[in-house]
Amino acid sequence: MSSALNTVRSPLEPSSFSRKSAATLIIIYAFIALVPIAWMVMTSFKSANDAVSYPPKVIFEPSMEGWVNLFTQRSRQSKEYLKSLPPPETWYEELVRNRQMVIAGPSRFLGRFLNSLIIGFGSTFLSVFFGALAAYAFSRFKIPLKEDLLFFILSTRMFPPIAVAVPIFLMYRKLGLSDTHLGMIILYTMVNLSLAVWLLKGFMDEIPQEYEEAAMVDGYTRLQAFFKIVIPQAMTGIAATSIFCMIFAWNEYAFAVLLTFSEAQTAPPFIPTIIGEGGLDWPAIASGTVMFLVPVMIFTVVLRKHLLRGITFGAVRK
Amino acid sequence: MKNFSNQTKGLSDRAIAWLFVTPTIILLLAVNIYPLIYAIGMSFTNFYANKPGMEIKFVGLKNYIKILNKEDIWETMQATAHFMFWTLLLQALIGLGLALLLNKKFKGNEILTTIIVLPMMLSPAVVAVFWTYIYQPQSGIFNYIINFFYDFGEFTMIGDVQLAPWSIVLVDTWMWTPFTMLICLAGLKSIPNYLYEAAEVDRANKFQQFLHITLPSVLPFLLLALLFRGIENFKMFDLVVELTGGGPGSTTEVASINLKREAFEKWRTGYSSAFAVIMFVTIFGLGNIWVKVMNKIKDK
Repeated sequence: MSSALNTVRSPLEPSSFSRKSAATLIIIYAFIALVPIAWMVMTSFKSANDAVSYPPKVIFEPSMEGWVNLFTQRSRQSKEYLKSLPPPETWYEELVRNRQMVIAGPSRFLGRFLNSLIIGFGSTFLSVFFGALAAYAFSRFKIPLKEDLLFFILSTRMFPPIAVAVPIFLMYRKLGLSDTHLGMIILYTMVNLSLAVWLLKGFMDEIPQEYEEAAMVDGYTRLQAFFKIVIPQAMTGIAATSIFCMIFAWNEYAFAVLLTFSEAQTAPPFIPTIIGEGGLDWPAIASGTVMFLVPVMIFTVVLRKHLLRGITFGAVRK
Repeated sequence: MKNFSNQTKGLSDRAIAWLFVTPTIILLLAVNIYPLIYAIGMSFTNFYANKPGMEIKFVGLKNYIKILNKEDIWETMQATAHFMFWTLLLQALIGLGLALLLNKKFKGNEILTTIIVLPMMLSPAVVAVFWTYIYQPQSGIFNYIINFFYDFGEFTMIGDVQLAPWSIVLVDTWMWTPFTMLICLAGLKSIPNYLYEAAEVDRANKFQQFLHITLPSVLPFLLLALLFRGIENFKMFDLVVELTGGGPGSTTEVASINLKREAFEKWRTGYSSAFAVIMFVTIFGLGNIWVKVMNKIKDK
C-alpha cells in the first residue's frame, strides 16, 4: 500500500462492521459455552434444596454444604444426642450439626483425588522420559523402518480402550497389577507414549543440530550433548508435552472404571458415585467436579500457545 | 566430523539410537500389541473370564459369524453411526463458522479463543455427570431455558427414546466443536494473502473468494480434524456411559458400551474379543480410506 492510499481500507482487511459482528457472535458463543461450567461452579455453593428448585435459582444464599459433604462422611443423630455433645469447634461441624448430623470421618474423595495425582504424575514422568529418548533418536538418527515405526507408535492410540481392556484385565489379574497404582501408571504411560514421542519429535526437529555438533567438538559425548544441550533447549516442548500427558491421565475414565475398584481408583469413576441421603447430592457432586476441573482449566490457559500442536499430535503446528 | 566422533569416548550413535528407541517399543509391544494378539487369539474360543475351571475350546469363526448375524449388533452400529454422523456434521459446520469469525482478528480474540476451548480439555466422564444435572427433568436448567422460549412442559432428554440420542450429540458438540475450530483456524491462517490480492484484481466477489480460495485451503485441515474426531467418536465410551448409560433401553448403546456389557458384565470373553477385533478393523479401515481421500484432495 502506498502512503497516499493509507486512508483507504485495503479490500483484504475486514470492515469494522464485519469485525464487530464477528466479535459479537463469538462473545455470544463463548457465553453459551461457559454456561454449563459456570452453572456447576454455582451449584457447588448451593444448598441441597436450592440445587433442585424450579425455576433454577441464579441468585441464592451461598452455602458450603456441598464442599463439606464432599470431604466428610456424616451420620444422622437424634436431637437428644446432638444436645449432649460439646458445642461444635469448627464452622463445618456446626453446618453439619444444623442438619442434625455429625461428622463420622473423612470421605473417600480425597483418596481418589490423591490417586489421580499419583497416577497422573507417575505416568506423565515415565511417558515424557521414554518419549524424549525415542523422539531424540527418531529426530536425529537413521533408524531402519523409521516411518513405519512412527506410524506404529501413532496407531496404538487408535485402539479402543475397551477392546484392549479385556486382555489387560486378564494380564493384570495374573500379574497382581489389578487395582494398583503401578498397574495404572504403566497403562497410562503406554497410552501417552505415542503422544509424547510425536510431540517431542516435532519440538526436537526444531532445535538446530549444530548446537550438539558444536558441543561434541568441545569434547562432549553424544549422551552428554543430549542431556546438557538438547534437553534444556527442548524444555518448553517438554513442559507442554507433560501437561498434555497429565491432562490425559487426569481425565481418563474407561481404563480406570474397568481396572480399578478401590485402592487405585481415580477421581473420574468416583465422582459419579458420590451419593447423599436419598438421591444424588448435587452440590457435593458439583464441588467434586469443580475441584477436579479447575486444575485442567488453569493448565489450558497456560498451554494456549501449544494447544493446536498437542491436540493434533504435532500434525498442525501453525 | 566422522573422524572426530570415532575418537571420542562414549557410545556410538547407532547404540544410542537403539538404546533410546527400545524402551518405547518394548512398552508398546507389552501393553498394546501383546493384548491385541491375545484378544485375537481369544476371539476364536469360547472363553469365559469368570469361569476359570471351564475347558477352553477352539470354535473357529463361530464368534464372528454370530456377531455379524446378530440384530442388536446392527442396532449398536446404527446408534454409533447416528452419533458419529451428527456430531461430525455439527462440529464441522459450527467449528468452521467460528474459525471464520475468529479469523477477523478483533480485539480480545485470544482470550475468547481460550474460553471457547475450555470444554474440550475437561474429563468427558465428569462433564457427563454435570450434564445429567443440567438435563434434570424437574429442575434442570436446560429444560428451563427450552421452556423459556417455547413451553413444552416437563420433558426428559435422557430418559426419552426420541431425545436421548440427541442429548449425547449436543454434549459432544458442545465439548468438541472447539477442536475443529482450532484446526480450521490454523488452516485459515496458513492461506497466503496474495491469493486474495490476486482475486481482488480479478474482481472476484467475496463469495467467489470464499468458494475458490478459502474453502479449498481449509478443507484438508477440516478433514484432518474430522479424522481425529471420527476415530474418537467411534470409540466413544466415557461420555455416553455416564450420561445415558446406553439407555433408555438400548437407544444410545454405542459400540463401546455394547462391548463393555458383553466383556465385563456377561463375561463372554471370546465373543467380546471377536467384537473388539471387528471394531478395531473397522476403525483402521475407515481411517485409512479417509486418509486416502484426504491425500487426494490435498493433491488437487
